[in-house]
Amino acid sequence: MVADLAIYTVVHQPRRLKLPAQPIPRGASIPEIYHCVFDERMNERYFRKVAQYCYYPATRMFLDLVRKGMRLSIGFSLSLLHQAEQWDPVLIDLFRELVAEENVEIIGVEPYHSFLFLLDTPTFVMRMRWMADELERIFGKRPTVTDTTEMCMSATIYDALDTAGFTGALLDGRDWVMGWRERTHLYTYSDEEPYPQGIQTPRSLVSNRQSANRLAAKSDREQGPYLLVRHLDLSDDVGYRFSNRDWSRYPLFADTYAEWIANTWGDFVFLGWDFETFGEHHRVDSGIFDFMRALPEELARRGVTFRTPGDLIEQYGKSGCAYHLPLPIDPTTWAGQGGIEFFLGNDAQKHIFQLMGQVYGLARLTENPDLLDLAIWLAQSDNLHLIQWFGRYGPEAEVSSYFTPDEWWSLGPNGIIYEQQQVYKNAMYAMEPYLPVRLMRQARRKNGTRTYRRQSEWIPPDQGYAARHIDLK
Amino acid sequence: MIDQEGAISPDNTLFVLLCFEGPDVYSTAGGLGTRVSELGEALAQLGYTTHLIFIGDPYKPSTEERVGGRLILKRWSQWVSKYYLNGVYDGEEQKLYDYNESVPYHIYNEIMRPAMEQDKMVVIMGEDWHTAEAMSRTSDLLFWFGVRHKALMLWNLNSLMSLHRINWGRLNYVATITTVSKYMKHRMWGYGVNPLVIPNGIPKRHLTPVDPAAVTKLRELAQQGDPRRQLLFKIGRFDPDKRWMMAVEAVARLKYSGYPVTLFVRGGIEPHGADVLRHAYNIGLTVQDVVAKRPSPEQCLEVIQHTSSPNIDIYNLRFFLPEEFVRTTYNAADATLANSGHEPFGLVALEVMAAEGIAVTGSTGEDYAISLENAIVTETDDPDEIVGYLLHLRRHPEEQKRIRCAGRNTAEQFLWDQVIENLVSKLEFLARKQNIQLS
Repeated sequence: MVADLAIYTVVHQPRRLKLPAQPIPRGASIPEIYHCVFDERMNERYFRKVAQYCYYPATRMFLDLVRKGMRLSIGFSLSLLHQAEQWDPVLIDLFRELVAEENVEIIGVEPYHSFLFLLDTPTFVMRMRWMADELERIFGKRPTVTDTTEMCMSATIYDALDTAGFTGALLDGRDWVMGWRERTHLYTYSDEEPYPQGIQTPRSLVSNRQSANRLAAKSDREQGPYLLVRHLDLSDDVGYRFSNRDWSRYPLFADTYAEWIANTWGDFVFLGWDFETFGEHHRVDSGIFDFMRALPEELARRGVTFRTPGDLIEQYGKSGCAYHLPLPIDPTTWAGQGGIEFFLGNDAQKHIFQLMGQVYGLARLTENPDLLDLAIWLAQSDNLHLIQWFGRYGPEAEVSSYFTPDEWWSLGPNGIIYEQQQVYKNAMYAMEPYLPVRLMRQARRKNGTRTYRRQSEWIPPDQGYAARHIDLK
Repeated sequence: MIDQEGAISPDNTLFVLLCFEGPDVYSTAGGLGTRVSELGEALAQLGYTTHLIFIGDPYKPSTEERVGGRLILKRWSQWVSKYYLNGVYDGEEQKLYDYNESVPYHIYNEIMRPAMEQDKMVVIMGEDWHTAEAMSRTSDLLFWFGVRHKALMLWNLNSLMSLHRINWGRLNYVATITTVSKYMKHRMWGYGVNPLVIPNGIPKRHLTPVDPAAVTKLRELAQQGDPRRQLLFKIGRFDPDKRWMMAVEAVARLKYSGYPVTLFVRGGIEPHGADVLRHAYNIGLTVQDVVAKRPSPEQCLEVIQHTSSPNIDIYNLRFFLPEEFVRTTYNAADATLANSGHEPFGLVALEVMAAEGIAVTGSTGEDYAISLENAIVTETDDPDEIVGYLLHLRRHPEEQKRIRCAGRNTAEQFLWDQVIENLVSKLEFLARKQNIQLS
């Protein structure tokens, strides 16, 4: 039976798009493009609402619990931190207070909660390193274990995180990935056995000189990232089913839950929840806060000790109790049925994903870092999550539509899809003037003959303002 | 029990006018810009604090105070307009989105809340389809913040453009719908709404007598040495609704009946202009273009004089006409052809009357026009109708004098002060309905 329990929770808010799509003036400045693409007023409204019902009370609760000895791991998307810095710096301070506690480990998260890893793996590696820098800047602690987006994990993502230098990573314990394996052990996908024929290591990788290539793998680790497997059933009992009155185990009490955990077979249980579980997905009157406050004592009574992912890696990894887990090429996720089809399963999602790729590609062509940043914002997984319901029904579609902003429904389902596509298309048209080839041609025109320039700007007096002033009475 | 002792006054009420067009040259595309600018000015002159939120010139200050600080011009969407330099409707969709998105919050935060602190009622008036969505959103926002009951919201229709884009049920629920004529009221019944009629107005300056010397000179120029030659004038967009073809045909028929005519035309840049002038040429009328660069009224006369050559039937004035010159022409002309087939109100005809001219109107929104009493009202698109009435006037010069005089008297009844009195009476009725307590 397990003796250890690690709790992980992730704080995230999407940067929602502005629907219906705002037409963007040709030649708009980059801040103006951002203004047209994102609905910051709506984002602020949702942020403040969630802050009131969840972030403040839940953070205070966890602060209280960790001070009493509970150990917690927590991840923050930079998308969320970006909003908090803008609209509620006091909340950031409260988060800092929590993270500063010795019993809290900070976990990395894909910074914008994007699907960049499906579009550009090398850039994903660099962004994950940047994310670690940012979290260290904000919280004074550097994450060594990381989540991604929606806990997506695949062989490629693993390799990218390995390259980025993380010592641990998270994945959801889906049957189709785990097969016969228990979710309650530490795993790794790292392949440390020698290859039968051997592969010659390039000289640049073994030399002592610093490589100019920023992607150069960090070689100070003996082992690739360890994998912590989220316990799907036990996690969803709280994260998903806790306030479901139709659930046969409703209402769930802390003693029952602690009993389930303590009676689980394996080394440890790793639980993963949205931070918004506390007060937002399950409102205060569901009893979720009381449940959490009672849980540590119930667990202690059953001999279960709180750990962080770092503790578990230290404890089980170093002692050789980590097992090989073959990872699929198709990513697994903690959303829906655990496959990427939750995000790319319907035609509308596929089209948006295609547009994400096109926007990203165009942004790369512009070589403009702000536009590249915009393209990554537009690759947020939430933009696919929010339309999972399209053409579907059932519990997953219900979850997806729950996350779709209420304000959008007046457009109707088809309207939402159309307008969302339009946002991407508008963004692409707006990026075009920033293409270096176009900018160079503009510059040549500007520096060209005076006559040409004047001709191009000249408006015949009869077609200018004066004519309009009088002739339309 | 409705308790309503107080009346609307500048002490207890302020106005917010929402319109795409406005007083800037950039923002003026037609009568709407004139209407809203003059309405705003008249309200401010009567003492009401008035905010006019319009698509302003991107290179002018975003806020400007006039009339002793009581008229506050708010040039909206300037960040969009700087990318669309060809006037208010260039980049229309981009501007519309920004307007709808940002104006309601501005009204609530910057106007409504301070007004509430001063215990003032806010009258919000939107103009035309561009403001319909902003009106609905403003109402929703004020309702959300629990202050909707302190605002009277009116939405006025001046044209039939883009009515399919209006959510009539929603708009009719959140605002009192008004329009400028009974004709428009009847047209709008088709959309399931029954608007109140609040007519357009003209400013006092339109009643200022025109310079008789300029009138004499203009008539001499138009007569081209033939005292029998009549002067006609037509101004407006080159739009088929304005019945330009009817006017040109009438000129030709008069000419070939032995009654020569000089027609001054001032159209817009619309493609229909080419059709009109081509047709004039094809039916044997001689057309002379007159070009100048923002001339003064005196320069207008000079430039026409310098351009004139014998037997010109149509002078196509291709330059900005100063208001004073326009009024002089209204007065000098034997008739101004405002013979539109569809006219929501017909501000031109009223301006003609104010200048003691003779307006030939259509018979749609010109509620003020009574044929052969204060104007000539055409009821068909038959050019012979114009020909017949003009020949009748020619035979009865005393009628001309009487019509000019009656027209001016009519125009006096449509000064903005009078119109605002009408508006205020309707607002008081609406305030009573809404149980607003005016202090």
